[in-house]
Amino acid sequence: MTDQIIFDRGYRTYDGPRSGPSGARRAVFKEGLRRVLGLGRKARYKIFPWSLITIALIAAAVFVGVHWAIGDIAESVGEGVPSYGGLFDFYSAISLLFIAFAAPQLLIPDRTKGVLSVYFSRPLTVDGYLSSKVGAFATLIGAFYIVPQLVLHIGLSLISDDGFLPYLTDNLDILWKVPLTTLAFVALHGALVFPLSSVINRTGIAAAAFLGVLTAGSGIAARVAEASFPGARWVSLLALDQHPRIIRDHLFEDTVDYPAEIAGFEVWMSVVVIAVLVLLAVVFVRQRYRKLA
Amino acid sequence: MGQGNVVEIEGLTHDYGEVVALKNLDLQIPSGITGLVGANGAGKTTMLRLLLGLLHPTGGQISVLGHDPQTDPLLVRARIGYMPEVDCLPKDQTAADFVAYTAQLAGIPPREAKRRSSETLFLVGLEEERFRYLGDFSTGMQQRVKLAQAIVHDPDLVLLDEPASGLDPEGRVQMLELIRRLGDFDIDVILSSHVLTDIEQTCGWVVMLDAGDLLRNGPLEGFDELGTVVVEVVQHVDEVSARLRSNGYETSVEGQRLIVGPGDHEIERAVVEATATVGAGLIRMVRGSSSLEDLFLQKGEES
Repeated sequence: MTDQIIFDRGYRTYDGPRSGPSGARRAVFKEGLRRVLGLGRKARYKIFPWSLITIALIAAAVFVGVHWAIGDIAESVGEGVPSYGGLFDFYSAISLLFIAFAAPQLLIPDRTKGVLSVYFSRPLTVDGYLSSKVGAFATLIGAFYIVPQLVLHIGLSLISDDGFLPYLTDNLDILWKVPLTTLAFVALHGALVFPLSSVINRTGIAAAAFLGVLTAGSGIAARVAEASFPGARWVSLLALDQHPRIIRDHLFEDTVDYPAEIAGFEVWMSVVVIAVLVLLAVVFVRQRYRKLA
Repeated sequence: MGQGNVVEIEGLTHDYGEVVALKNLDLQIPSGITGLVGANGAGKTTMLRLLLGLLHPTGGQISVLGHDPQTDPLLVRARIGYMPEVDCLPKDQTAADFVAYTAQLAGIPPREAKRRSSETLFLVGLEEERFRYLGDFSTGMQQRVKLAQAIVHDPDLVLLDEPASGLDPEGRVQMLELIRRLGDFDIDVILSSHVLTDIEQTCGWVVMLDAGDLLRNGPLEGFDELGTVVVEVVQHVDEVSARLRSNGYETSVEGQRLIVGPGDHEIERAVVEATATVGAGLIRMVRGSSSLEDLFLQKGEES
C-alpha cells in the first residue's frame, strides 16, 4: 500500500500566452537535443555521447598540432598531410557511431514507452513531430561535423605564417564547403537511420542495423559492381557510404576513386542518389507515424 | 447543437474495417464530470480518440468545446488534457522535467511550464518526489504523474482513460477524490472506466456504452444508492466487523470474509481505518453489485 498522500493546495489557472503548434515543435526539438546529449538524465546516459564529442574535438586539435609541428601549412597540405577534407575521413568512424546512437534515441523511446500518445494529444501534428526530430538530428550531427572543423580552422589560422586574419580571408571557401559536405553526410545517414529507427524497437539493434547497411551493404555492392554482367555499373551506386565522400572529394581534395567514379558516374549522380534516398525516407517514416498517431 | 455542452455528437459511427466500434450514437455531454462506462471493447477509447481528433469517424459529427476535432484538431487539443490508459512515461526523465515538457507541448512558455509543473505535482501529492526519475516510481505515483501532465496546461476539458487503474484501494480513493476536485477548478472531465463504482463515486453524468451501442446517456441522479463491499482479512475479522458496526455500517461475517454495507463511497476508507485500527491484514476489498451495475447488466441483456 502506498504511503503517498494527496494534498490539495488548489489549482492556478493560466491566462498567459500560448505559442500553439510552433511552441510544441520547439519543445520537441529541444527535448530531442537533451535526450541525445543525456541532459536531465542519469550520468550513464551522458557517457557515450560526450565521449564521442570529446574524441572528435581532440582529433581536430591533433590535426592542428600536426600542422604546427610540420610548419608551413600550404607546404604540409601539399605533402599530403590531411586538412579539412581529411578531417571528415579521420573521424568518420566516430561520427557514424554518434549517428547510430543519436537517431534511435530520438525516435525509439517515445514510441516504445508510449509517450507518443501524450505528444499527439497536444497541438502537435505528425509532420511537426517528425520535422522537430529531424531538426534535432541535423543540429546535433551537423555540429558534430562542423565544430571540430571550426576548431581546425581557427587553429590553422592561429599557427599560419601569414597571420590570423589573412589566413581566414584566404580560406573563406571553407565556410560553404564544410557545411555543404556536412549536409551530404547528414542527409545520407539520416535517410538510412530514420526509417530503421521507425520500425525497430530496440536502440541497440537499430544502431547495428544502420551500421550494417552502411558498411557491409556498401562493401557487397562495391564487389558486385566489379562483376561483368549487364547493368553491373548501376550496382555501384548501392555502395551508399561513398556518395557523401564523392561530394566531399569534389569540394576538397580528391583522395580515392570510389566504385561509382570507377563505373563512370559523375558527382551529380551522388547528389541524385542522396536526394532520392531522402525522399523515400520521408515518405516511409511519415506513413509509419501516421499509422501510430 | 445546444449551448453549455462540452461534447455534442450526432450520428457518430466508427469502424475498423468489419469491426464496428461505435454505432450511430447521438449524445450530449454537459459541463461537469462525466463517466464514460462500458466493458473492455465497448468503444470507450475509440470515443476518446475521436474527441481528440486522432481518429476520423466513419460517419456523423462531433463537436468538442464548440469545435470540430476533425477540421480543427490542433485547436481542440490545445484546450484538452489527456491521460492515456497505457504506460506513457519516459523512465529516464524526472517527473518535474516531464510534466514541464508536456506543458511546453501545449504552448506554455518554458519558465511558466517549470513553475506549473512544480505546482501540479504538488497538487497530485508528488512534491517531494518531483526530482526523482520516473523509472523509480511506483504504479500509483506514475498514475499521478499521468494525471499531472493532463492538467498542467490548464485545459478546459480533461479526458481520463482508466485513471485509477493499478492503484491500491487507498490510492484509488485519493485519485477519485482528486478527480472530483477538478470540477471545482472549472475543468470539465470525461472519465472512462469499466469500474462502475468509480463512476458512481465521481461523476454527475454517465454515458454507458456496450459493444458500440449507447445504453444510457443522462444524469447519475437516482443511481446513488451504492452496493456492498466484500472484504477479506487475514485475522481479527470479528474485531473489524465490530469496529465497522460501531461506526454505523451493517456487516455480516462469512469465514474470513466480511460483507459491509450497503453504504456510500466512504465505506472503503472506513474499512481501511478499521483494519488498521485492529491490526488485521487486509487481503482484498471489492465492491459488490451496485445500482449502476444492475442497470448496466439489465440494459445489456435487453440489447
